[in-house]
Amino acid sequence: MPETNIVGKSVLRPDAFDKVTGGKGFPVNVRLPGMLHGKLLRSPYPHARILRLDTSKAERLPGVKAVLTPSEAPKNKFHPVFFSPSVAASMVHDMLILSDRVRFAGEPVAAVAAINPQIAEEALELIHVDYERLPAVFDPEEAMKPGAPQIHEHAPNNIAMHPLFAFGDLEKGFEEADSVFENTYETQRVHTCYMEPRVCVVDSDARGNLTVWSSTQHLFGLREKLASALGIPVSKVKVVRPPYIGGGFGGKLDISFLEPISALLSLKTHRPVRIEHTRYEDFITTARHPVKVFLKTGVKKDGTFTARYAKSILDTGAHATHGAVVLMVHGMYGFLLPYRCPNSKWEGFTVYTNNMIGGGFRGYGVPQAAFAVESQIDEICDKLHLDPIEFRLKNSHGEGQQHPFDPGFKLDTYRFADCLKQGAAQIGWSNRRSKGSGNGTKKRGIGLACQPLWVSGCVGFPDIYEHSGAILKLNVDGAVDLSMATIDMGCGQTTVLSQIVAEELGVPLEAVRMTYADTETVPFDAPTHASRVTYSAGNAAKAAAGQAKKRVLEIASSMLKTTSDNLETGNGRVYVKGAPDKGLSIADVVKQAESPYVRMVPDGMQRTSLQEKGTVMGVASLAPASNPSPATAEFVEVEVDTETGEVKVLRVVYAHDIGKVINPAGAEGQVEGGFQQGMGFALMENLVFDQESGACLAGDFLSYKMPTAMEMPPEIKSVFIESHEPSGPFGAKSLSEPCAIVPAPAIANAIYNAIGVRIRELPITPEKILAALGKL
Amino acid sequence: MKQIIHLDINGEAQDIAVEPYHTLLQVLRDELGLIGAKKGCDTGGCGCCTVLVNGKAVYSCMVFAMTAQGKTITTVEGLADGATLDPVQQAFIEAGAVQCGYCTCGMIMSAKAYLSSDGSHLPGDLEMRQAIAGNLCRCTGYQKIVDAIRLAASRRMETSAKG
Ligand code: FES
Ligand code: FES
Repeated sequence: MPETNIVGKSVLRPDAFDKVTGGKGFPVNVRLPGMLHGKLLRSPYPHARILRLDTSKAERLPGVKAVLTPSEAPKNKFHPVFFSPSVAASMVHDMLILSDRVRFAGEPVAAVAAINPQIAEEALELIHVDYERLPAVFDPEEAMKPGAPQIHEHAPNNIAMHPLFAFGDLEKGFEEADSVFENTYETQRVHTCYMEPRVCVVDSDARGNLTVWSSTQHLFGLREKLASALGIPVSKVKVVRPPYIGGGFGGKLDISFLEPISALLSLKTHRPVRIEHTRYEDFITTARHPVKVFLKTGVKKDGTFTARYAKSILDTGAHATHGAVVLMVHGMYGFLLPYRCPNSKWEGFTVYTNNMIGGGFRGYGVPQAAFAVESQIDEICDKLHLDPIEFRLKNSHGEGQQHPFDPGFKLDTYRFADCLKQGAAQIGWSNRRSKGSGNGTKKRGIGLACQPLWVSGCVGFPDIYEHSGAILKLNVDGAVDLSMATIDMGCGQTTVLSQIVAEELGVPLEAVRMTYADTETVPFDAPTHASRVTYSAGNAAKAAAGQAKKRVLEIASSMLKTTSDNLETGNGRVYVKGAPDKGLSIADVVKQAESPYVRMVPDGMQRTSLQEKGTVMGVASLAPASNPSPATAEFVEVEVDTETGEVKVLRVVYAHDIGKVINPAGAEGQVEGGFQQGMGFALMENLVFDQESGACLAGDFLSYKMPTAMEMPPEIKSVFIESHEPSGPFGAKSLSEPCAIVPAPAIANAIYNAIGVRIRELPITPEKILAALGKL
Repeated sequence: MKQIIHLDINGEAQDIAVEPYHTLLQVLRDELGLIGAKKGCDTGGCGCCTVLVNGKAVYSCMVFAMTAQGKTITTVEGLADGATLDPVQQAFIEAGAVQCGYCTCGMIMSAKAYLSSDGSHLPGDLEMRQAIAGNLCRCTGYQKIVDAIRLAASRRMETSAKG
């Protein structure tokens, strides 16, 4: 493993100073001269046709500059998630920017732009809409029945997608089994709860060119999708990269109604238009899809899987958007791939209902699957008296084996067994008591859950393009301007990429600054999603830095009258290998490169070397070579109050093979935040809707309960198992999502260990615990 | 109809014309350009908008600007002295308490209000968590925020012991 100076150290985030002194860089702060404020009129009904829309009064209100109705919006259906035209073409296109048919309570029917938000709000009340109410359906299984209200003409029985994957011989597998387990698990709708609301400002010029600022996780995706929604070429849209956004967690991957509507209002008024969601609007815009998972699993006495079947029903809400792909990732990375089983079959249903549209959320379908799979493994082990660690080891993949999804890749580094071993040691697994054996009313239990296989990006699956790019430029004072399309949504992408550049170039971290970028000035990057940035974008940043370094060495070799391979860089200097005092500062090298080739001196013209001239730069755009898998195991201790049903998480040990850890403190922060999201999913969060009106009943933080500092366990311990991934930047793989996937099943299994009753439906509220204990 | 109110903001006396329906948050952000206080919900549920009013941490989205007449307001912009940060801000950076940063200014103000009281003991975990119980964070799991408050508190103890 090569020695590193900056990579592998807990560094201070370059953006932290700005954030503790006010945080100017958030998109929510963007203001332009002459800017108007937009507001959306949303349907109060979950399913209705618009018969008449009268905007005349609203238009006459002083201060109102434009009202937008469905008749003025483009008629082409678009896909708000897929940025890659080839993949988007195969997806269900079922969205219009504004339609005269609404399919969930809250779908926009019109929009207003006014000189301030108050007037815009007032104008909404002056718009008169006649609706014809249509029958609505909120339960996906009801929606699949014959005779249920049809939500989209193209989807009989409201089934948007029905993927199916199978290998081996399922029947034979079940025959070979000593025991067969059948269980159903259900998860609820939860919100990503990014703290910065969705917001955008769109400006236009007289030729219809658009400039966009938005709280988005994908710079280029916003460009591609907005252009497709509006039916204009991509080069007519410029998206400006925000220095950072206030969280995303998958909830800001798609374009919502916001950007296309702001664009249309701007084109109509020739002024910049800003729309900011209220928190209520955020709550009804994106959420993790509820999924019901039926599992049938055959095992040998010793715990070897012989057959596995799963059927998943996913409620995608009014439109298929993420719902189709979330379901595939759910089936693949949640069910089929993490463990080995020769005979397997999975089928899924993406089902339309009149609920809000589901979205992306850390884990992208897999938290729902992991809750089912990891809970059932615990049930199997309990019944067959097997050790849950041994069971998982028996059925998992091994280091050096082929990747189960793409045989072109190998699991070069894969330390799942170490995760289990080290995690078990830290929590004291061997002292785990048998279920429900504690004395008194407060009972403790320890549980385990894993995500044995994950991704470092999307190469191989799904088949969207995955390349990243970087441009960097050195300044005469030694500062390095790094420019990338990569969005930092809070996880520290800017920090990690800067560390990689500083390490490769041999400059101090402080010398590197992430600077301005927009879709016209930098190469493409895929979204900040799929745990991909450190690995994929990291490789591109490293390559660009490597190119700039090569140039530094060339110039320095000419200046020092030696050869490039005789030189190395470090700490902002370039010097003769092994002799750090024989050299120059990188700043001096850049100064030489930036100085005139021909100089006037008293006795005439003086020429320097032409080879030394020109701005020192590095540019890269490349797709990653592989998709290495991290592996993870989480151990949790809980205390259940059998009188009140309350669950307290006491201890958490999270063991994760992420390859080389680039920034240990940042990595811990990811794990701690991931646990909060997973614990909320497990115990308390629930975005509930009225089953008659379809109205959201948890549209603010007073009714939507997510964990505060008070509910969180006193300590979350991260154990990083460092393997050296040969295809990753400095050996790194990925981190972000598994730590948000495993908490729910780990907590559910710990609750079972504490009280001996199994709850198969999230969230595990005190009411459910008391009911399961027969106390309600 | 707008009315003039008098406020002391970050040590500077200001007369500002406000509408009766303007919240303090709106006035800070939109009229005064003090964008450290953030709007996360506008309904008293997240704490991103926390500022100090007469030394107490309040949700500025839940206070009509008019009711702040004559009061002393401190926002995050009032903490640092040029490039020299307040010890709480410094501790947030060093402890790794900042991720997306959207909750950060509100968190810092709550921590600041809490740490401005008696500085003679090192606060317990529960006490520190109570101090930020009204501030939501979706990124950090709060662990490193608590670490930051502890770090600031211990430095404060050292300083008061020396002084
Ligand atoms: S914005 Fe004031 S509490 Fe959320
Ligand atoms: S740091 Fe993102 S919400 Fe707290």
